[in-house]
Amino acid sequence: MTRAATVYRILVGAILLLSVFGLAAALALVRPEKADFTFCNGTEIKTVDPALVSGQPEGRVIWAIFEGLTTYHPRTLAPMPGVAERWEISPDGKTYTFFLRKDARWSDGRPVTAEDFRWSFQRLLHPETAAEYAYELWYITHAEEYTGGRVAVGDPVEIELREREPSDPPFARGKMLYGRLLAIEAPEAAASSTGPGRAEGSGPPTAEPVYVVDIGGKPRRFQRATAVPRDPTAEDYAWLLFDFHRVGIQAIDERTLQITLKHPVPYFLEIVGFFPMCPVPRHCVERYGYPAWTKPENIVCNGPFVLKYRRIRDRIRLEKNPYYWDRADVLLNSVDVLAVESAVTGLNLYLTGSSDWIPTVPNEIVPDLLRSRRRDFLPAPYLASEYYIFNTRREPLNKSQVRRAIAMAVNKQEIVSRVLRSGQIPAESLVPADIAKYVAYQPPHCERYDPQRAAALLSEAGYPGGRGMPRMELLYNTHESHQAIAELLQSQWSRTLGLDVRLNNQDWARYLASRREGEFWIARAGWIADYLDPNTFLEMFTTDNPNNHGGWSHPEYDSLVAAAQVEPRPEQRMRLFRRAEEILLREMPLIPIYWPVTRNMVSPRVQGFYPNILDIHPLKDLRIADHPSLGTGE
Amino acid sequence: MYDVGLDNVAQRKANMFRFIVSRTIWLLITLWAVFTVSFCLMRAVPGGPLDRERRLDPQIERNLAARYHLDDPFWKQYVRELGNVLRFDLGYSYRMADFTVNQIIAQGLPVSAALGGAAMLFALAVGIPTGVVSAVRRNGLADRVLMTAATLGIALPNFVIAGFAIILFVFLLPWFPAAGWGTPSHLVLPAVCLGAPYAAYIARLTRTGMLDVLRQDYIRTARAKGLSAIAVIFRHALRTALTPVVSFLGPAVAGIVTGSPVVEKIFAIPGLGVHFVEAAIQRDYTLAMGLVLLFTLLLYGANVLVDAAYVLLDPRVKLR
Repeated sequence: MTRAATVYRILVGAILLLSVFGLAAALALVRPEKADFTFCNGTEIKTVDPALVSGQPEGRVIWAIFEGLTTYHPRTLAPMPGVAERWEISPDGKTYTFFLRKDARWSDGRPVTAEDFRWSFQRLLHPETAAEYAYELWYITHAEEYTGGRVAVGDPVEIELREREPSDPPFARGKMLYGRLLAIEAPEAAASSTGPGRAEGSGPPTAEPVYVVDIGGKPRRFQRATAVPRDPTAEDYAWLLFDFHRVGIQAIDERTLQITLKHPVPYFLEIVGFFPMCPVPRHCVERYGYPAWTKPENIVCNGPFVLKYRRIRDRIRLEKNPYYWDRADVLLNSVDVLAVESAVTGLNLYLTGSSDWIPTVPNEIVPDLLRSRRRDFLPAPYLASEYYIFNTRREPLNKSQVRRAIAMAVNKQEIVSRVLRSGQIPAESLVPADIAKYVAYQPPHCERYDPQRAAALLSEAGYPGGRGMPRMELLYNTHESHQAIAELLQSQWSRTLGLDVRLNNQDWARYLASRREGEFWIARAGWIADYLDPNTFLEMFTTDNPNNHGGWSHPEYDSLVAAAQVEPRPEQRMRLFRRAEEILLREMPLIPIYWPVTRNMVSPRVQGFYPNILDIHPLKDLRIADHPSLGTGE
Repeated sequence: MYDVGLDNVAQRKANMFRFIVSRTIWLLITLWAVFTVSFCLMRAVPGGPLDRERRLDPQIERNLAARYHLDDPFWKQYVRELGNVLRFDLGYSYRMADFTVNQIIAQGLPVSAALGGAAMLFALAVGIPTGVVSAVRRNGLADRVLMTAATLGIALPNFVIAGFAIILFVFLLPWFPAAGWGTPSHLVLPAVCLGAPYAAYIARLTRTGMLDVLRQDYIRTARAKGLSAIAVIFRHALRTALTPVVSFLGPAVAGIVTGSPVVEKIFAIPGLGVHFVEAAIQRDYTLAMGLVLLFTLLLYGANVLVDAAYVLLDPRVKLR
């Protein structure tokens, strides 16, 4: 055989192989029927387990297949009956009694009961679940102690023994013991900062205390088996936590759930409607374990839709849930949730009719869309804030005069009209002013842009013309508009204050780490509200809040926010928050830059879609119009 | 024609066996080295899979770290993950927590392979004829036009090609869907955009090979015999001229079937390319590791195949 002939055969063989491969793949492609409604959901979602998600794309799917005690009105965002058909709030605002509707069912036909909620909230709070949003339920009495594994002498405790197979799914409870904690026998230097919660595999062996618990009148001793030195008389345990029976969540009967809070929380009805607080089916979770229970073939849910199938980074197909209590009002039979990462691709799909809703559009085309006044483009205020934080641990940013000077030299109007150009609003406070349309809170204003006064302030502080100021860095994460804003800030500060600021652009994960470690001078930050209340923003600047990366601390601010959080009278409460924000904007540990806007584009054939400040759009309320000319709801 | 004696055949079989064994051993060593370097690099860069914009309560953060064993000492994590890799079980993705790494690869690899296969097919179908025509009409108008196109094809990044393709064949002429996956028509534009640079490269390789061959004596002999130009080109010249194309195909196929992040992102195709990039950005340790090892395996396998193919092409090449 000649060499050339061999080459030829190999090549022909390769081509044949590729053709067969291509053909087989093309034939294997499933052709999904077009759904009634299709939308682009941004990135692939992390999971459909309500307890384990945190993002907006996840929220859209969770809310479609699960339903909490309350739901949100699509226009006003007011809490509406969900699984709970009504509720009562005690006069002191601390006890909520939810009455569940009797026709609420799981998608396998079983009724949704108060016990389902009690168990789901326990699962959400249990440290083994490691739910990110567990803290939202810490308003409930003793819930924080439960998640944190914090116990004190005299507390009622529950102990889970190690009688669970290692292969058991997380949160399958093993054998439980209940009793009262009599003593914590701490070996020296065992401050027990990690709490007694977890027993296994947590780093190098540390000095572990022995917990003495009175169980049925008899004291028993518990210590982790990994402890060094180990007390031979102590029993091993898996978890030792505050007794969940004493946490303020009680299933009074099959259809009555009572929740007791530490202090009144005006937005608690919103919190129980928030997607992580959706109930999960115990019978399904315990049967399959996590994550097998989330598979389309196993999952049982209670929302308007059920999960039909999931193809990674492609689509999630939802179908109407025949057991949903309000099925008569669900007018879509099928929904496709597309995982489309790029906004440009999403726009292409929308313009060619392959998608009925895109939650965002590329920045560059917004000015065109605004000019052409397209009726299907629905920009609206968003309860979110973009700002820069100062690292107040560093000299000279620890001086409020210097911070004020730097903040006052920022021309926000220029940022919004030259860089962003898509309807964003220059921010004069941390809490977006549009919150006033929903709750009785009017944020104060920070000092306006004033280059002369800024320069004067800086020289008063001892740095005339920027002389003597250290070379600072501006930290931001890789993103086109963040970069453009940082460059503009750099030139504004150099122009008005004579400051020499370098830019430091880091990828997302690295930027988060830098912020967390306090490795920055001035850093970009953004915050999206979890609920309709100034607390979601203001809480973050209290001393030792995990999100207070700049290390700013102001005792009066702390006490005002703390007082507002427990204040039962709504007007007084908002007054306290306002006084706190006034301090914040006087001391300026941050520079508010702008308030983002939502940029939904919705096909004219879709009805029941309303722009709102939390950007929540329940799929349940959408329908497809026969006469598209009627347009979207205004 | 080579006259191959029986002894020689036995000898070559033994050589082939030795070759396969030694390459397998080297493969394992390579995989281990890649694993170790990736493991250390992933943990050395700042940030981890549990980071997010809003900082979690320290207690919740500790619970999360414990759940994923990220609070274990470095060596313990290394041993655990090496054990998992040896069992072919990389565990669950951090970022797409409902799926194991194996499930993600099982869903993504066929998609990337189908797209890559179609792109390769396009590249060969366009590249080889273009190269032949250019070589035959050397320095003519056709050659200049085609080679300019090929240079452009290599020089233009595929997101630019994709942009033009979408404007032309989605919006001006509504022939193809804008993005997505599900029908053969979804395959066309991305395959063309992904295959275009490869087609251009193959065209240049074919042209160079052809020009070399056309100067050879046996071609002159074939022409002198009175064979038609087409017979000379396809029966005699092309066979030899394609050797460089074969050696290019090995690594190219390995690269193309593991997906292209850019094309996949533009056309919203659920292949492995976007997973690769996102896993790195999001510090999805398990998924990133799985994809790095998969790519190593495919690249290594393709190179071994190319080496073996050389032996078939040329008996003077010895396997070692």
